[in-house]
Amino acid sequence: MYPKEIEKFLLKVQKPGRYTGGELNSVVKDKSKVDIRYAFCFPDTYEIGMSHLGMKILYSLVNAREDAWCERVFAPWVDMEEVMRENNIPLYALESGDAIKDFDVLGFTMQYELSYTNVLNMLDLAGLPVRSKDRTSLTPIVIAGGACVCNSEPIAEFFDITLPGDGEEVTNELIDLLKEYKAKGASKHEFLVAAAQIKGVYVPSLYEVEYNEDNTVKSVTPTNGAPEKVVKRNVANLDEMFSPSEFVVPFLEVVHDRTTVEIFRGCIRGCRFCQAGFLNRPLRSKSPEVVEAQCKAICDSTGYDEISLCSLSTSDYRGLETLIKNMLPWTIDEKINIALPSLRADNFPKELMEKLNAVRRSGLTFAPEAGTQRLRDVINKNITEEEVLRTAAQAFSGGWTAVKLYFMIGLPTETEEDIRGIANLAQAVVDEFYKNPDKPKGKSVSVSISLASLVPKPFTPFQWEPQDKPDTLIEKQDFLINCVTTRKVNVSRHVPWTSFLEGVFARGDRRLADVIETAWRKGCRLDGWSEHLKKDAWEESFAENGIDPFFYTARRRDYDEILPWEHMDYGVTKKFLISENKKAHEGVTTACCREKCAGCGANKLNGGVCDEIGKTVV
Amino acid sequence: MKSVRLWFKKDGLAVYISHLDMNRCMTRAVRRADIPLWYTEGFNPHPYMTFLMPLPLGQSGMREPLDIRIEEELTFKEIKNRLNAVMPEGIEIVDVAKPICKPNEIAAGEYEIDVEFVSEGEAEGFAAGAKAVIGGGILNAEKRSKRGIKTVNLCELIRSFEIKQEENLVRIKTVLAAGNSVNLNAELLMSALYNEFSAEPEKTEIVRTGLLREDLSIFE
Repeated sequence: MYPKEIEKFLLKVQKPGRYTGGELNSVVKDKSKVDIRYAFCFPDTYEIGMSHLGMKILYSLVNAREDAWCERVFAPWVDMEEVMRENNIPLYALESGDAIKDFDVLGFTMQYELSYTNVLNMLDLAGLPVRSKDRTSLTPIVIAGGACVCNSEPIAEFFDITLPGDGEEVTNELIDLLKEYKAKGASKHEFLVAAAQIKGVYVPSLYEVEYNEDNTVKSVTPTNGAPEKVVKRNVANLDEMFSPSEFVVPFLEVVHDRTTVEIFRGCIRGCRFCQAGFLNRPLRSKSPEVVEAQCKAICDSTGYDEISLCSLSTSDYRGLETLIKNMLPWTIDEKINIALPSLRADNFPKELMEKLNAVRRSGLTFAPEAGTQRLRDVINKNITEEEVLRTAAQAFSGGWTAVKLYFMIGLPTETEEDIRGIANLAQAVVDEFYKNPDKPKGKSVSVSISLASLVPKPFTPFQWEPQDKPDTLIEKQDFLINCVTTRKVNVSRHVPWTSFLEGVFARGDRRLADVIETAWRKGCRLDGWSEHLKKDAWEESFAENGIDPFFYTARRRDYDEILPWEHMDYGVTKKFLISENKKAHEGVTTACCREKCAGCGANKLNGGVCDEIGKTVV
Repeated sequence: MKSVRLWFKKDGLAVYISHLDMNRCMTRAVRRADIPLWYTEGFNPHPYMTFLMPLPLGQSGMREPLDIRIEEELTFKEIKNRLNAVMPEGIEIVDVAKPICKPNEIAAGEYEIDVEFVSEGEAEGFAAGAKAVIGGGILNAEKRSKRGIKTVNLCELIRSFEIKQEENLVRIKTVLAAGNSVNLNAELLMSALYNEFSAEPEKTEIVRTGLLREDLSIFE
């Protein structure tokens, strides 16, 4: 429930439902009966945050403890921020309406580099100093998890702790430790030194970073007994892992508003640009029975009529056919639609596909990612033009008329031929539509190309690669648009400057903290929203701090350079990443894990076990 | 298949749920309550559910009608109990009954509006002024419709209007035209009055207490 003083402003801001709380299944506890108050902070709007599965898991997990109360906090939209600042209303948690500066833990999830300024803004709205060193009391401890913390360095000055890897186990361990240290009246430093001993906990302030004259990292030295390498947390058994049976049901329309259940973590594909595919290794699966029971429980408690089975590559789930066959009877009966994101339709039985679409038909998308076979081999995206066309033909004969194709530009070794290939592939899909003898009368086909730009990310084989500058990307985008000769194909493109900023922070170091703070003080926030991205303010912030952003993006790094994130260990070895990088430049593919274990090394995190290859000797 | 009219109360936190969001919210509640909704046939089946008179964002409703169709026989009491067990905060089913009136018989809405001013003097001035203006029969305001913006005399859409002042509070009881052809949003009336007197109240609470037919009998 929102604080009283905000009531008179609620009807003056857009979408007041973002700020009221009180949604079905939100958890309200008696604050006098809990030891730890945990604010789960999502550094973006309500609609984005409420779509995030990780928040739902951790919210329920913390609230399952009697001694802790987890509440939700989102970044206010600009209109509400103005109201809060003008009227001195501090950032509050949605369940209690209490100011979060008095909480014990502020846990942020960092999914996207362009949300960094939102973290500073939220801390400031809460009434807290933005830098870790300036928050001297034990609580609130400000922590972060999520994909971005694989390179925590650009945000290292702001967070007390980051948590690389799976959050399910380490969150509880950290709460236990904080409860103990709070009870004995320990200092923040004492707590952080002890926390650094928990597996998968990174305390940036316990590491000293030295730089070479050329601004590359010279050394990273742990202090106070912190580990040399911080190994990411890995939940070994997904069937036994905590999973929520209730989701908070928003009133507002949010991006993903449905039952979402993970079917496995990790990916067998090894696409060389894909950070998630490397960060989440080794592969661990849930059994179909567990997935089904979790889906049913959430549908019952929420009333949702859509289930999304979530993973990085749904058709690679071994139990998929069994699962769908078991779920179809009750989902059809209850008019629940099953969505399978990232499905490769070519190896999925046609009759099951038809049944899946019995309730509601979803869109059809492919992600060839590159326009030519040569470049698809470079990025190890093992999908051929024939496969795309065959599946498209199948879909057209089933009545579909719209197809969406995902591509990237700025890939290593890319030439004009590869970009022209994107237009050619889209044209081939259009042609496939007209080859279909039973095509619906009077209907045209629409092929949408969604064009992203490669941002080389840490812990991928492309972590050493230069990133195309914004100007180059714009030229490439324009080139592609000129190659498209039909109105049946339309191209939507990303803002290259956004990818550039994302690239700076993805592979940045601690020196960027000053840039982020300067930019935020100049009014930068909600940078992921193109209407709020302030390019000039960012450029000034780099200049004022003497930082050349292209140092982080445009430079090819040597294999023997110490990368700012090398004291993190995500299981996959550097040796493997180097070999994948070399193979990319040779245009040689690596078979998927199911065909042959490539020896990435991640199974050592799981006692040598990878669900894909079974037990091996470590 | 059977038509059922649900009567619900919407207040507290729920006033911030927009009409579009209400639709989704109620569909889910009915699903959680395991009430066998009748689905439309066709390419994209959806449950049959109609809000007879949408309530604007920010206003409370004491007795709002919602028509649904169900596939099995369930007693009205059973429907009410099951729904109230799964309703979010701020929404409550107050009655379940057979639809008696046709939706297009709705002609007016009954409102109770509380306006809080900083001082008693302001409240007194506003109450006296508002009474005179409404009594005089002319209060022009710009009204948005599908055909664009036009100036309308709101008094022609007011069926009755009582106003009294208690300290810094002004309390209004009014019946306003409601329905598909002519409709007056209570918020529009209030902002027109505030405009007229350059009033800046602290708080306005609008509660729709019920819906009426043309002859001002209760819509059932």
